[in-house]
Amino acid sequence: MKDVSFGQYYPTKSFVHNLDARIKILLTIAYIVAVFLVGQFQFMGFLLCLIFVILATAFAKVPFFRVLKSIKGILFVIVLSAILQLFFNQDGALIFEWSFIKIYDKGLLMAGFIIARITLVVLGASLLTLTTSPVEIADGIESLLYPLKWIKFPVHEFALIMSIALRFIPTLLEETDRIIKAQKARGADFESGNIFKKAKALIPILIPLLICSFRRADELADAMDARCYSGSKNRTKYKKMRLSWRDLVGSLVVALLIFGIVQFNVTGFLAVVL
Amino acid sequence: MQIEVKNLSFTYSKDSKNLSNKALDDINLTINEGDFFGIIGQTGSGKTTFVQHLNGLIRLQKNSGEIKIGDFDLSDKKCDFKALRSKVGMVFQYPEHQLFAETVFEDVAFGLKNFQPNLCDIEIAQRVEDALFMVGLDFNKIKDKSPFELSGGQKRRVAIAGVIVTRPEVLVLDEPAAGLDPIGKRDFIELLHRLHRTFVKTIIIVSHDMNLVSENCNRAGIFSKGKLIEVGTPKEIFANVEKIKALGLDLPTTAKLMHELKSKGVNIDCDLTVQGFIHAITGRGAK
Repeated sequence: MKDVSFGQYYPTKSFVHNLDARIKILLTIAYIVAVFLVGQFQFMGFLLCLIFVILATAFAKVPFFRVLKSIKGILFVIVLSAILQLFFNQDGALIFEWSFIKIYDKGLLMAGFIIARITLVVLGASLLTLTTSPVEIADGIESLLYPLKWIKFPVHEFALIMSIALRFIPTLLEETDRIIKAQKARGADFESGNIFKKAKALIPILIPLLICSFRRADELADAMDARCYSGSKNRTKYKKMRLSWRDLVGSLVVALLIFGIVQFNVTGFLAVVL
Repeated sequence: MQIEVKNLSFTYSKDSKNLSNKALDDINLTINEGDFFGIIGQTGSGKTTFVQHLNGLIRLQKNSGEIKIGDFDLSDKKCDFKALRSKVGMVFQYPEHQLFAETVFEDVAFGLKNFQPNLCDIEIAQRVEDALFMVGLDFNKIKDKSPFELSGGQKRRVAIAGVIVTRPEVLVLDEPAAGLDPIGKRDFIELLHRLHRTFVKTIIIVSHDMNLVSENCNRAGIFSKGKLIEVGTPKEIFANVEKIKALGLDLPTTAKLMHELKSKGVNIDCDLTVQGFIHAITGRGAK
């Protein structure tokens, strides 16, 4: 249980790690938009995205397999949507038929298209969590949400909730581990039985865990109160976020990526090269 | 049931580069039936990892030793861990954190129903009543209450009742007295002796409280950096004062007094229990 590390942050020093968290979040969003901008069957656009991800990984000094590992979690989704496209998309010419299975060429292309799209989105997003610590992300989101203050949205409190939640994930995992062991020692069985039995077997874990979280929340509130924590007013930050030349370079690269993709969509690959 | 541990090693996270970082390193230990065995050592010395091996909560790693408990061979893949766990009870630190059921009765019966699903209701009720009686609670008054409306001390007793309800022959306790007030602690130790006199044959207790160990254990072991560096009677393991201090541990009060007196030229020989110490002192005075 202990090796379930949240967020998968890969600590090292690199160009990408040193980017401003805010910029990184925005660029990740821009990148995801770029992936979705790739027009139907314009696979060259995906190639461009892939090159971008590989370059970014290299500049982040993150082992490539760590980035690839992020796909494991959503492999099921990818495979499922590809299969659905493959078997139920009935556009284009029939290329394969075996009893009730009929595969059309458009369906095949669409399956490939969807696999590429989801994979690239996940790769890019995981690069953000690999190179940015959860605290930095929370800080970045707080800063990005700052304009919402105009409509009286409690930005600071929201960010505080987020960072406390992140902070307590390892603690709660440890607690879960201990409760699981305690119930196992009392003969609890979490592996056998059908899905309803398994769900019921979780009660002896979930209830103590819930109670423990409430207790911790109470304790934390008291501890914060004891140190006169008073919310957002006049609170300064320990780490100030500053933009640097790196952020400019990063933004330019992503802008170039989007520009390239749009060009491919409009004119096709060859027209750009020639 | 005799517990035999041979060459036991354990490493957390196999892919960590630091291979020397062993949580347990070549542990050899035999705990006899009838022992009241104490385990002491600094935080992170491997005590908890060790005791969690004893009922299969942490599985033995490949080629890293063997554990035999009675007829159970924990290194065997076919080992019936469920049966083992009903024989080797485990009480965690803050056991009250494991309570979950709607009533005290249901919570205490949880383990029993898991281990012996064929038991009839009357028998379950009898066993739960016995367990609650054992920990000093009134079955009729408490059985229908929610465990969460009890006091801290009562919660802990209910939690322990939930472990001993299966009548384990070996009871492993990890820091069980933490957070108890002095009277709660005394009652708790009495409970342990009561259990030891009845069906629990072997008690293994992990504790930071040296007095608890010297007062109650007939044998004890010291863990340091994953190694078992000393095994013997409390008198034996606390004999080398400098070594104990170097390990960042404390001495039991009786041993401290003995040591003080020795430096003043008074040699006292006792088994480090309070009674033994008084005997030694007064016996000396009578001479």
